Amino acid sequence: MTGIPVLTIEDVATLDGVLGDFLKKAEAELTVVIDRGGNVISQFGDRNVTDVTIIAALAAGSFAATRELARRIGEVEFNALYHQGNGSHMFMNSVDDDNIMITVFGPRTTVGLVRFYSAAAAQNVSGILKKLQRNGHGLEFTAADIAAAPIFTE
Amino acid sequence: MSIINYASREIQFKIVYYGPALCGKTTNLSYIHQRINPLNRGDLVSLATAADRTLFFDFLPLNAVVIKGFVTKFQLYTVPGQVIYNATRQLVLRSADGLCFVADSQWEKMEENVESFKNLEENLAKQNVALDEVPCVLQYNKRDLPNIAPVNYMEYVLNNRRKRLQSFEVISSTGQNVFAALNAVSQILLHKFSKQSDVPQTVAPPVAIPVQPALPQNEGVSV
Repeated sequence: MTGIPVLTIEDVATLDGVLGDFLKKAEAELTVVIDRGGNVISQFGDRNVTDVTIIAALAAGSFAATRELARRIGEVEFNALYHQGNGSHMFMNSVDDDNIMITVFGPRTTVGLVRFYSAAAAQNVSGILKKLQRNGHGLEFTAADIAAAPIFTE
Repeated sequence: MSIINYASREIQFKIVYYGPALCGKTTNLSYIHQRINPLNRGDLVSLATAADRTLFFDFLPLNAVVIKGFVTKFQLYTVPGQVIYNATRQLVLRSADGLCFVADSQWEKMEENVESFKNLEENLAKQNVALDEVPCVLQYNKRDLPNIAPVNYMEYVLNNRRKRLQSFEVISSTGQNVFAALNAVSQILLHKFSKQSDVPQTVAPPVAIPVQPALPQNEGVSV
């Protein structure tokens, strides 16, 4: 895909609706949609769990790393991954060629339930992401806006 | 690839530090992590071997300036420099918005610098991206060591192209010009991102931006 994806307020509300419905049905705690470069596109649920940007970066890496494993057994990729912990678990599934969905859940639910509802949620998310505006982000700013202050300071 | 979110009023960018093994990419991120206001950064995540060599990547999320009411968020990554990890480099490079190539200034590392730069161009080409299309700056690192090549030579070896990149003399272990290079690549990518598509990359100076003399700085940097 080309162009900078733009998430409008309406897009975010639609995504939140899909993800919120999924979390409720699956009884999971947090779900995050990321692109395969590790950027967070949308998140819903308990935002205090941890730094979501770090989860996104690591999940994108984990998903890509296992692609090579999949190839060794004749698959293009594993379209879902499950990481089992003692109390908290993580389920990751492919949304489409560019995006991944991560779900964090605890003892209230099961991986089967999360897997079952995530399939439909991923399909809905994919439909929304495919329709995102990419032909110009519409945010105009000038060189003066950028140069007003150093971007990072010690 | 950057993402703009009108609901949370955020723009995300990804900057990748690239370069040969042991050139100082992780040291750059460690210094930034140490020196930047903790309120504006997340944790530094390093996926390293027992010998502290980068195995997968280092990752540092940063919040930066607010432009037109939008918070700019930068995600800094390093690639593993060791030759065998090329598949990982390709993965980390995916959808990068900006690049900082870190070269090791020592004479004996010159061949590795050239190989790594060539590898960067090849890996970008595999993603159908040309180096000229990506905001990129060069760091000539380790300028405090005794056996280093002159800047003019490094410019000739690594920056001898029609569209020259902005370059910096850096000592990443003490932080000299680490923030200058990060700010430069961030500025270039923000210019690219803005509607002013005709804004050129910052014109490269005739020589690399030198290391500051070792005098007390305003902000009292002494690491």
